[in-house]
Amino acid sequence: MPTAAYDVVILGSEPSALTAAAYLAKAGRRVLLLERREDLGGAVVTEELLAGCRVDAVFDDIGWLPRSIVSELELRRHGLELVQLDPMVTAPAKHGGHLALWRQLGRTQDSIRALSTRDAERWPDFATGMAKHAALLESLYEAPAPRPGAGGMPTSDDLRGLLRLGRRAGLRGRADLLELARVVPMSIAELLDDWFESDTLKGALAGGAIGGLMQGPRSGGTAFLFLHRHVGGESGAVRARQTARGGAGRLADALAAAAREAGAEIRCGACVDRVRVQGGRATGVVLGNGDEIAARAVLSGKDPRTTMLDLVEPLHLDPDAARAARQIRFRGPMARVHLAVDELPRFRGIGGDGLLGGSVVIAPSLDHLERAYDDAKYGRVSERPYLEIAIPTFADPSRAPAATHIVSVTMQYAPYTLREGEWTPERRSALGDLVVGALAEYAPALRETVIERCVLTPRDLEQRYGLREGSPDQGEMMLDQILFMRPMPGWSRHATPIHGLWLCGSGTHPGGRIAGVSGRLAAREILRAKH
Amino acid sequence: MARSYDVIVIGGGHNGLVNAAYLARAGKRVLVAERRERVGGAAVSEQVFPGFTFSMFSYVVSLLRPEIIRDLELPRHGLQILPLESTITPLANGDYLGSWGDHDKNRRELYRHSPRDAEAYDEFGRLMHHMAMAVRPLLATIPPDPLSLDPRELLAMAKLGAQVTGLGEARIHSLFKLMTMSAADFLDEWFEFEPLKATKSASGIIGTFLGPRSPGTAYVLLHHYMGELDGAFRAWGFAKGGTGAVSEAVAGAARRHGAEIRTSAGVARVLVKDGRAGGVVLDSGEEIRAKVVVSGLDPRRTFLELVEPRELPDDLVTAVRRFKFRGSSGKVNLALGELPDFTCLPGVGPHLRGAISISPDLDYLERAYDEAKYGRFSSRPYMDIVIPSMIDPGMAPPGKHVMSIFVQYAPYDIEGGWTDAKREAFGDAVIDTVSCYSPNLKRAILHRQVLTPADIERITGLSEGNIFQGELTPHQLFFFRPSPRWSGYRTPVRGYYQCGSGTHPGGGIMGASGRLAALRILDDRAT
Repeated sequence: MPTAAYDVVILGSEPSALTAAAYLAKAGRRVLLLERREDLGGAVVTEELLAGCRVDAVFDDIGWLPRSIVSELELRRHGLELVQLDPMVTAPAKHGGHLALWRQLGRTQDSIRALSTRDAERWPDFATGMAKHAALLESLYEAPAPRPGAGGMPTSDDLRGLLRLGRRAGLRGRADLLELARVVPMSIAELLDDWFESDTLKGALAGGAIGGLMQGPRSGGTAFLFLHRHVGGESGAVRARQTARGGAGRLADALAAAAREAGAEIRCGACVDRVRVQGGRATGVVLGNGDEIAARAVLSGKDPRTTMLDLVEPLHLDPDAARAARQIRFRGPMARVHLAVDELPRFRGIGGDGLLGGSVVIAPSLDHLERAYDDAKYGRVSERPYLEIAIPTFADPSRAPAATHIVSVTMQYAPYTLREGEWTPERRSALGDLVVGALAEYAPALRETVIERCVLTPRDLEQRYGLREGSPDQGEMMLDQILFMRPMPGWSRHATPIHGLWLCGSGTHPGGRIAGVSGRLAAREILRAKH
Repeated sequence: MARSYDVIVIGGGHNGLVNAAYLARAGKRVLVAERRERVGGAAVSEQVFPGFTFSMFSYVVSLLRPEIIRDLELPRHGLQILPLESTITPLANGDYLGSWGDHDKNRRELYRHSPRDAEAYDEFGRLMHHMAMAVRPLLATIPPDPLSLDPRELLAMAKLGAQVTGLGEARIHSLFKLMTMSAADFLDEWFEFEPLKATKSASGIIGTFLGPRSPGTAYVLLHHYMGELDGAFRAWGFAKGGTGAVSEAVAGAARRHGAEIRTSAGVARVLVKDGRAGGVVLDSGEEIRAKVVVSGLDPRRTFLELVEPRELPDDLVTAVRRFKFRGSSGKVNLALGELPDFTCLPGVGPHLRGAISISPDLDYLERAYDEAKYGRFSSRPYMDIVIPSMIDPGMAPPGKHVMSIFVQYAPYDIEGGWTDAKREAFGDAVIDTVSCYSPNLKRAILHRQVLTPADIERITGLSEGNIFQGELTPHQLFFFRPSPRWSGYRTPVRGYYQCGSGTHPGGGIMGASGRLAALRILDDRAT
């Protein structure tokens, strides 16, 4: 084999890809990372979508970023400043008033008490119970996915994972694991109905179980997604979120700085046309302009279907693997609407107290969410959608020109595949109107304050940010697509059927909205493998 | 002096009877106490209208365990299964999709609609067969207590782990998919023809309050593939004389082994003293003593009504309170003066000897579910229709017929509660929908009986009218049925056991719960 200039070429710059670049470079590998766009971060990007405003294009927050990655890569030194949002969620109640979920248990309880004293009593048990489940998931996530039935010797990572799980679970470990196994296949509606009576509370919580998923709160397995999104959150902080000062995209800047310092090369504006495969193994990539870059290994941070079916020529892939890649479900359900407004939105029922610092959710009840899903089930945009609203300028006015606020709305459901027609400019604009209209029901004055608007349909999310079918998780986070089933059954350890071609990113274990972990795991597997 | 027994079985449903028969066969003095005037629970045949006999609730047999048929010699006691060989799904365009017992005929039929699906069908069948084979041993396994440190339980857990690992990676993945996916997604991976997917996915929604696109519905697909009949996989059938004949046969076997069966003997409560069961008190106030009491009723009644919750640990009471019943199905039984004439296959033909499934596409089923979610019955429901008198002429007077329509969704918690008017409106919706496919139906009807989940609860005692004594969703199976620690048929009250469908494996006229509970009792030397 001719000597390659690089040990590893990495495709895409989502946080996990950057993380992998940093770990591989730190281990002495010659690394080249190629990003199609001019900005780094993939879909976790902050850019000027509105005049003079630094807008979090797709995600308002960075998801879970393990502390160990922050310290190992010295991300603080590289400019990352983490911000914990508090309150996490504010929900205007249907009949006036509001609910706020704070990091402090007691403060949340006080807020719930206005809706239901019974629910307020139950809150601490619920919050600690969910934290316990999430902690178990967390220990599963930090290790490579288990491989039941695969045989073979466990690796040191496997053993570390088991130990960690055992330690975390403690003596009552089996009972806790069993309870987790009972809860994850449930619907979030069933779970919440077991605990609470207030529609406002249940709606606000359930939003966390359907975000990014083409399922409603009464669908089985949504309790799992609820816990998945809780992973990494501190105990008691249900629906906690953290972001980076300056915008979610600052995470990519810090990771890139760490990678570069360790010696990785990062090239933007480089579009990869395909992965070169010779003799059944990946030997490099071919760029859109025809340039070839040889490498001993290729690590793709793009989603598994794109990697396996679009970047690899079909003749190199065995039909079973191709079929498995085709069967990965994406089904993006969300759209983003960004507004520049000339005054802070005034929501009915939400006064001062810094309540706009977290997300404001419009999810007045489980039925509201379920009905929104009903529309999507038949391929239509929800008439009365679920909205999650972030106002980043509330905490950081420097992100917009003076006297301007950014209002970023995640809207669900807007199905990627419409039953009738395509996502045309007219439909995009109608979607924007629909969202502004739905917002205006809760913030009546908002309509008149809009200076500029930017609407991203699921199709736009795919085209601009590479999210296949608009799925924010690079593949649905459902029980049949996690752990040893992610990205494809039997290929959970970042390897692919093509020797030397590796995967990382949200589409691989441990899944979406977890920054860096899959990159670190993939880097370890690559370092362990012989090339 | 009141007689004393080794065992009293509460409830003469098929599981209670199987339990009693096995215990009596082992030499125990057994009494079955049944509240109604007849045994069978939800497996009863009743002459609802003069001359017309109906399998009033449960209407097909497929999951009845072959070892039970053998051990209890049920054919000797009158059990005869008549095969139900086909299913047709009438389509909106006047065509139909047929599924026939004959492999080649079936393939030709599928080919007519989708060559691709016809190609995939055999491979799918093979996979499901392997999956059913993999899961089948579990039907004869007492769930071990995953939390116990008892060496026997640990060994059973290890054995179970080895069984799963032994399947190999590929089958574990398929099994995992079946346990977690929606029936619709699972079938989407295989097929394209909507009526085929809808008809197959329908088995995934029966008895649950989920739509076919909700994860957790693929598993029941497998449950229905596990039907064994005389060793033949996947075959469904009728018991001659209706499903009541199954109960009668089991009752006959129990009696032959010396069990006593008392009907019109509802049990008010279980006598518990110092954490030990000692007998029962009947509704009449009569006390009957026994060393062991077995409840064939559902978990809610077993734990919250028959004994005082204070006799039980709090976590069990909580677990039972949150056990999901959510009855979602109803039944319409019709006495017909003439056979229904289906537009898609006019006249009398072999299709009338099989099932007729009203499941034209997945959206149809989802829409039916949508209405139920918000507290209404489906105005265009999913239906599984059979005409038992076509195969078993004794069910109706000469020239006349009985038709059984299983209907979903009819939510137990209907808005405003079930009333007589709502029941009739529900019946009308059912008849109207079937009439779309069989225009002569209304004319043919001589009598009709409409059973809502509330009626099912009232008559059979099944909580919330759930036909499986609790939904068969992944979080209510195996270890979790009805609750971890208490899935092995024991209860925290010594000498008090459970044997109903609300325990593993539950659902259908299977009898496995009754049998496994009997094995557990004998193994415990509880008597």
